[in-house]
Amino acid sequence: MGKTADLLPGTLDMLILKAVSLKPLHGYGVLLRIQQISGDALEIPQGSLYPALYRLEHQDLIVAEWGQTENNRRAKYYTLTSAGRRRLREETAGWNRLASAIASALNTKPEEV
Amino acid sequence: MFKRIRRWFRILTFRREFEDGMSEELRFHMEQFADDLVSRGVAPEEAARLARIEFGSLQNVKSDCREARGLHLLDELLRESRYATRLLRKTPGFTATALLTLAICLGANLTIFAVMDSILLRPLPFPEASRLVTMFNTYPKAGVDRDGSSITNYYERRGRIPAFASLSLYNFGTGIIGETGSTERAQITRVSPEFFSTLGVGPLFGRTFTEAETAHETDNVAILTDVYWRQRFNADPHVIGRQIRVDGVPKTIIGVLPPNFRFLSSESRLYLPFASRPQDRAPSERHSGGNAKQLIARLQPGATLAQAQSQIDAQNATLEVDDPQAKMMADAGFRSLVIPLHADHVASVRPTLLLMQAGALALLLIGAINLVNLLLIRATGRSKEMAVRQALGANRRHVVSEVMVEITLLTLAGGLLGLGLGAGGIHLLTRLGVDRLPLGATIAFDARLAIVALIAAVLIGIMLAVPIAWFNLRDHLTNRLQAESRGGTSGRSAQRLRHAFIVGQIALALALLTGAGLLGLSLERAAAVSPGFRPEHVLTGRISFPWKSYPNPASRLQFVERLTKEIGQLPGVLASGVVDNVPLSGKSGKSAATVKGHVLRPGESPRGHYSYAVGGDYFSALGFSLQSGRFLTPADSRRTQRVCVVDEDFARYYWPNSSAVGQRLFEGGEARADAEAFTVVGVVGAVKQAGLTDDAAQGAIYYPYIFRTGDDIFITARTSLSPESMTSMLQKTVRQIDPELPVSDLRSMETRIADSLMARRSPALLAGIFSAIALLLTAIGTYGVLSYAVTERRREIGVRMALGARPEQIRNQFFSLALRLLAAGTTLGILGGLLAGRAMRAVLYHVPPVDPAILAGAAAIIGVVSLIACLVPSHRAARISPMEALASQ
Repeated sequence: MGKTADLLPGTLDMLILKAVSLKPLHGYGVLLRIQQISGDALEIPQGSLYPALYRLEHQDLIVAEWGQTENNRRAKYYTLTSAGRRRLREETAGWNRLASAIASALNTKPEEV
Repeated sequence: MFKRIRRWFRILTFRREFEDGMSEELRFHMEQFADDLVSRGVAPEEAARLARIEFGSLQNVKSDCREARGLHLLDELLRESRYATRLLRKTPGFTATALLTLAICLGANLTIFAVMDSILLRPLPFPEASRLVTMFNTYPKAGVDRDGSSITNYYERRGRIPAFASLSLYNFGTGIIGETGSTERAQITRVSPEFFSTLGVGPLFGRTFTEAETAHETDNVAILTDVYWRQRFNADPHVIGRQIRVDGVPKTIIGVLPPNFRFLSSESRLYLPFASRPQDRAPSERHSGGNAKQLIARLQPGATLAQAQSQIDAQNATLEVDDPQAKMMADAGFRSLVIPLHADHVASVRPTLLLMQAGALALLLIGAINLVNLLLIRATGRSKEMAVRQALGANRRHVVSEVMVEITLLTLAGGLLGLGLGAGGIHLLTRLGVDRLPLGATIAFDARLAIVALIAAVLIGIMLAVPIAWFNLRDHLTNRLQAESRGGTSGRSAQRLRHAFIVGQIALALALLTGAGLLGLSLERAAAVSPGFRPEHVLTGRISFPWKSYPNPASRLQFVERLTKEIGQLPGVLASGVVDNVPLSGKSGKSAATVKGHVLRPGESPRGHYSYAVGGDYFSALGFSLQSGRFLTPADSRRTQRVCVVDEDFARYYWPNSSAVGQRLFEGGEARADAEAFTVVGVVGAVKQAGLTDDAAQGAIYYPYIFRTGDDIFITARTSLSPESMTSMLQKTVRQIDPELPVSDLRSMETRIADSLMARRSPALLAGIFSAIALLLTAIGTYGVLSYAVTERRREIGVRMALGARPEQIRNQFFSLALRLLAAGTTLGILGGLLAGRAMRAVLYHVPPVDPAILAGAAAIIGVVSLIACLVPSHRAARISPMEALASQ
């Protein structure tokens, strides 16, 4: 396992939305998917995953439905709603703006001032 | 938003499902994680352990999940409710007192509110009912405040008043409906064609009346109400085109009204077209309203009442130009007033209803004060517990929400009981005649009221909880832990608050008692008024002539003569007569008369007088007093010479210095040929027509029956037995003469008088009930607070007695406290009583709004009751044994 980074506050929701947007997932699947798509760089505290999922469901950003896993176990699958998709787009754009602003700030060289 | 609330409710309903699902989901997660670890080579038991560690506290995660779903608030509420229920159950005496107080106070308010709501608040059952108006002609200077509208008014205004979208004429009447052998007298409303479109409610099926159906030759059509359609036609869907006989004339049914159709307080079974002849619509008939015919109109969207009024005024002014009567009408102060339909219909009961609601609210306030006091005492008892809990870290929000939950729970339960009591209260009010008020038949105890009750209960709960919560949080903890400890007394502010509440309570009860006293005295004074005749042993009943079998005055006179003769011969009947309007019948229309030789003084306007047609021995039957000349006799209807009798008010007005007998007068507003003059042959005592409390000396003229043969007569009989025992005999006699003529409204004259006082008796009775409850609550409140003060100061008293204080000193100390509170409360209460009297001025009769005797009496009653309530605790204080008091606690 490589080096992992702690999550910035507020980013967990965004990551969950992203994970679910790729394919309907159960809770554990969300955890694995975030690790996978972040190249194992992000460590999700398992205890805070479910309250986040419930909160997003309460806000109508994702919906849950019971289904079957590949090895025939009952699990709750989360899917993105259209409101969730909109939110993900907004958050992604916001994040990108923030990230590029911070990156450009950090890359500033003395002669550029 | 709405979706979210719905889902929240779904989760509440399927709470179990939610919890199970959450557990399963979390278990699944941990098992998957453990499986993954196992597949990476970790031993199964170790993997399960690691999974648990990695996940953290399952309980915390679950609780976070619930919170994310908004469920934690509910959980807290449930927990606090359970706690509160336990607390309340531990003090059954307090809980029962509180619940009973709430139930009675809320029940009384709900009962009155149900009436207010149905009569004053709910709009009439028509679309955009606020745009419906009525109008009537008024001649205030002639003593005629209200005279309906005329057919001419209708035809002149229709389509010519821009502020009206539509205008319609109607009148209420009765008719004999059905085939020979199965007839019944039923109420009928005659309406102009645009009546239903003005109201905005059309027939369920069929059509409404057309313009062609407003002539007597072509008006043989009828519209049924839903009730009548179901009763008589068994809800036959093919009823259109069938025939129904009204007063013997067949009418074709053209429509059926929807089930909820109800025009004002009408009980009409049938609607018929308002037919009239061209001469009825002539300008000369412009002022012949006579209160029977009424106009309603719907305002144009956006048009105001003021616009409509000014357009009517302008039209009246234009029409007056070539009206020969214009001068006289102007002298009489003629105007046509436009008034909102709903407000006009309920105007007579509005002040009384508002007063009753104010009384009920005062009662609620008294009850609420009692509760606050009880709750404060309770909170004082628990204040150390609260302080300790706060010291141990209970947060403020928690302390507040606990109080809120407990008290709201209490008031909600009280509200539910109050709902039950209110439903019973409506029954009581029905016995008091509330269903006979305008729109009274629509009074219903329904879901809307239940919701109002519950909302009120919650609001009261919150309002009661605020002072208690404040009390619980108020002081610094250290203060609290020290005060009220062994040997101390309660905090000053708590004590002062309780005393202020008692003072307020005494004041409110006193104001309420004063109001009840004023109403009671008004009732007594009204009941003591002499009606002007001897009402004992007089039976009265109403007969309406169907036009078909009694088309002319001669046929009616013949019937009247035969009827009075046959009734007069019945055993037990001393005298019998008929009149076209019996005193206190509820009808009080006035008409004009012209006295020969009377010249209007400057500023004097022509007067409206009560005008009667009498047959048989009417004056003897009712027991009139004869002041000079003679009564009318049956023979006067058959004589060529026209005679009449006037009452003392009339005689005094026109001939203050000479005898009325032998003077002459004309019916109507102008002098005519001498041959049409009536010679006054007698003067009788004045009687009350509109009501016992109507003090206007309007004057009355009695004509022989033949000269005014209207559609209605009242039969009157003076009996030697109780009048009620004669009813069936009277009905039988009428049926023998004409089997198709029913007698309605059979009542003894004394019953009529009693019924006419209903509008005073019922409010006075209700106010009396409210005051009695208020007194009881005040007594309980005073007793409670004083006993508490004694209990609280047991140790202090014990110490003082041990040091030599005498029992009288202790007793007097508490007694003087009670007296001080009483004095303050009485002073405030007298102020409140003065205010109450002023607010009630409109409903008082011959009682000044400020009546010192009533104020003093009310104050005395309150004083005695609250002093009695103080006696027991004061005596108990004096009997405290120092040994016990010091040893206790």
